[in-house]
Parts: sequence; C-alpha cells; structure tokens
Amino acid sequence: MSHIVLTAKPVSRQIDCRALSPQALQGKTVSEITAIKLTKHSTVGEVFEVSVDNSVETLKVTFKNTDSQHAYIGFGMTTGQVIVEGDAGDFLGAQLQNGVLICKGNAGARAGDRMRRGMLLIEGNVGDYCASDMMAGTLGVLGTTSAYLGYGMKRGTLLLAKTPAAQATWIDCGPHKLPFLNILYKSFKLLDSRFAEISSLRVHRWMGDMGGLGKAEILVIQ
Amino acid sequence: MVINGVEIDDTFAEAFNMRATRVLITAQNLRWAYNAANAMTGFATSVIGCGVEAGIERELTENETPDGRPGVSVLLFAMGSKVLMQQLETRMGQCILTCPTAAAFAGIESEDMISLGKHLRFFGDGNQISKQIPNAEGKLKRYWRIPVMDGEFLTEETTGMVRAIGGGNFLVLGTSQAQVLTACEAAIDAMRTFPNVIMPFPGGVVRSGSKVGSKYPKMFASTNDAFCPTLKGAVKSELDPRVESVMEIVVNGLAFEDIAASMKAGIEAACGLGKENGILRISAGNYGGKLGPHHFKLRPILSGEAV
Repeated sequence: MSHIVLTAKPVSRQIDCRALSPQALQGKTVSEITAIKLTKHSTVGEVFEVSVDNSVETLKVTFKNTDSQHAYIGFGMTTGQVIVEGDAGDFLGAQLQNGVLICKGNAGARAGDRMRRGMLLIEGNVGDYCASDMMAGTLGVLGTTSAYLGYGMKRGTLLLAKTPAAQATWIDCGPHKLPFLNILYKSFKLLDSRFAEISSLRVHRWMGDMGGLGKAEILVIQ
Repeated sequence: MVINGVEIDDTFAEAFNMRATRVLITAQNLRWAYNAANAMTGFATSVIGCGVEAGIERELTENETPDGRPGVSVLLFAMGSKVLMQQLETRMGQCILTCPTAAAFAGIESEDMISLGKHLRFFGDGNQISKQIPNAEGKLKRYWRIPVMDGEFLTEETTGMVRAIGGGNFLVLGTSQAQVLTACEAAIDAMRTFPNVIMPFPGGVVRSGSKVGSKYPKMFASTNDAFCPTLKGAVKSELDPRVESVMEIVVNGLAFEDIAASMKAGIEAACGLGKENGILRISAGNYGGKLGPHHFKLRPILSGEAV
C-alpha cells in the first residue's frame, strides 16, 4: 500500500479534487500522479506538491495546506483513508462509498452529499446542506453546522457535538443512551482525530428528513 | 492405571462431528448478561430432544467485548448446520432480544457465517438501523440496531460456524450418590477453566446416561442399564458390588485437544477425592467405536499422550 501526500500550492481559483480519491491514486508513482488532469487545462502537478511513501501497510491520502477552494475532496472514495489537514471546500466526501475521511479543519457546503457508506469526520465547522441526500454511513461534525442540515437525508447517522438549529422536517425523539456508540467510539480511537476523545453514550436523537424517507438520524452528544 | 486409589478403565469415550458457533452476550452488568445467557443455553442439554447442546463458556471482561460492557460467551453445538442456524435464530429471538439491556456479537470467525441478527432485524418493523463499523483490525462489521421498549437492541449481523466435536465423556463410579456428586462438582469446576468447551447438562453432570435402542420400538435411546446400580445382578452389569452411584460428564468442544485437555483436568479433579472418599472407578461411554470417529482413550489422555 502507499501513503500519498498532496501539499497544496497557493491558488486563487477553485480546485476540483474528485480525481484524487485513494482508489484512483493507489499504486501510482509521483510522476503519474502529477500528470493527472484535474480539469481540461490543469494537472495535479500545477496545484499540488506530491510525495509517495510505499513502505506503509495501508492506503492513505493526506491533503496539506488546503483551503475552501479545494472542492470534492474524497469524492466517491471506495477504500482507504483520506486526511485533510487544512480546510476543505464544497462537496467534501460527496458520494463517499467506503473508507474513512477525516477533515481537521472546516468544510464548505454539501459535505457528505449523497454519501452511501463509510465515515466522514469533520473536526471543524460545516457549511450549508451538510449531509444532503445522504443515503447511509456516519458523518460526524465537532464544530458548528449551518442551514439545511440533513436536507433530504434518507438514512445514516449525523453525529454532532453542538446542537443544530431546529428544523421542521426533523422529529425530536428525545435523549437516549445508545449502546452502539460504544462500538463506534472504539473505531474512532483507532484514528488520529479529535473524534477519538468522545466518550459520552448519551445523545439527543432526531429522525428525519421527514420531507423524504425519514429513516436518518441526527445524534447530538450530550 | 490407578490414580489416588481410583481405577481408570482401559476404555474410551466415543464422540461425534458437530457444528458449533460462539456468541458473545453483553449487558449493562453481569447479572443481566447471565440472565440472557442462561435463557439462551437453557433446555439445551442434548441434541436428542433440544436441537442443540449449549452452555456458557466463560465470563468476559469489559476489555474483551465489542461494546465495552461485561458479558459472557456461549457455545452452541448441533448435529448439522441447518439445525444450528434454526436454533440460533430462535434462541436469539426468544432469549437475547427479550432480555433487558442485552446485546449479541459474533464470537468466532469462519468462512461459514450464519445469521445472528440478520433476520431478527425485521422485528424492528422497518425502524431497524444498519451500521457498518470497522473493528480493531479494520474489518467492517455490520450491526443492527433494533428499537425495543428499553431502548435499542444491538446485534451483529452474523457469527461464524465451525466444525466441532460433541460427546466427549467420562463416568464417575463411587460408593454413594453424595460422594460421586461431590467428585463431579470438583471435576466441573476444573473443566470450566478451559476455553472452547462446554458441559451442556445441568450443572455439567448427567445422571441418566443412555444406550442406543430400547425394548420399545419407538424409543431410539434408553437408560444405560449396564451402569444402573439398582439393576446389578438383574442385567449384564458393568458395576461391581461396591458401586452405588454413577454419574457422567459430557463435554463438547471446538477441537479434539480442547476436549482431551478438559477431560484430563476433570478426571484428575474427580480422582483427587480418592478412594477414601468413595470414588472407585472412572470409565467412559462408547458404542463400540463404530458410530463416532473421535475416540478419547482415558489412559493415554491421563498420561498426557493424547492431549
């Protein structure tokens, strides 16, 4: 396996990172990665410094120095781990299929959009429409959330450290002690993330989005 | 062979191939873990009438369970995979799902994974929730959260099914019922310290050993008259005039070595009471060696050759 580090160069335009999923970079050399086209006119080498370490046992992609201009990080990823050591732009972890994506900074709008499986853990704040149309999986946010949280969310768990604003299409199910959180937190402890510090099994539960299927849940840690 | 004045018969226990699974049961505290496990392993003494033979293997600390709560591990044995799957689902539904705070997890990994909560999830009537969470090795495990009146019932989707052995046994022969029972209690205490084995009968001991067949056509097993003390002289007895009571310990295990090791410890503990406390002989039940492929020869086991 390999650990690929992508250090962002300063840019003033949005960078579409959807070509940089772990499965797309797996087994590639530095020159192969730098030659990947991000748009019709730009390559990875123009906006990222690339390094590859093939001595590790897991597949991991680390983004460094990123900011809100870096959109679609972890888009459709199916395996491995992605670590974002800065902020992330819109559509962080959109259509996530599997694996773990950790963002140590803030994320833009539509984080976890249409996410199907896996874990998306955001240590900072998120923008509007977080978990929109999410189908399953676990999305955690330690910071604040914005408008239209869980809009159209079908299934899955949105684990929050801070209470979001009340929304009409989410039903308050009250506070609970949920034993499955023991297992979830145990899996967090294996990660290099502030999520590993969570231990409270007591959560406030909402079900929604009742504008759609309504089988998803928001759990706010008490 | 004589141990502490107790004669060891030159015979063997005849055991059979079985299918087995292990389930880890956790709860808010050990009291409720035992309540669930005792219910699940209740009425599971013999496949003849119960479908499965089951028992509590050992207690688990908070560090040994997937959800960090205290628990116990149970082993279930059946003659075939179909019966094992049926019995596991029934017992999960009636004994674990119903028990306050109890949760169930896979206790063994195998290529053959069978349903633990996979079908039980439909009790949630559409409100059940699936969660896939990686374990310590990074392997994704699927759990089901089923809404119930005390909160949520948590169960892993599947557990492993493995090949195993059932029917390891030995007989304790003595001069009184009380002395034989005391020896059996000592044997069970020693055997319960071993992993991968269970003694499925009440308290681990069976007083109604059976033989194959009966004078009644509809019965395929009947009392082991050769070892019934009250029939001495009336039937072809295996007992000498001093023997007034015989009890049997049956042990099922995941491997030959597990059963042999526990039998060795159990027989040695029973013999520890010695001839002066009324323990006269140790024997074993078999069918002439033609039915079961696994033969636990008492003397090689006790001399350490077969463990």
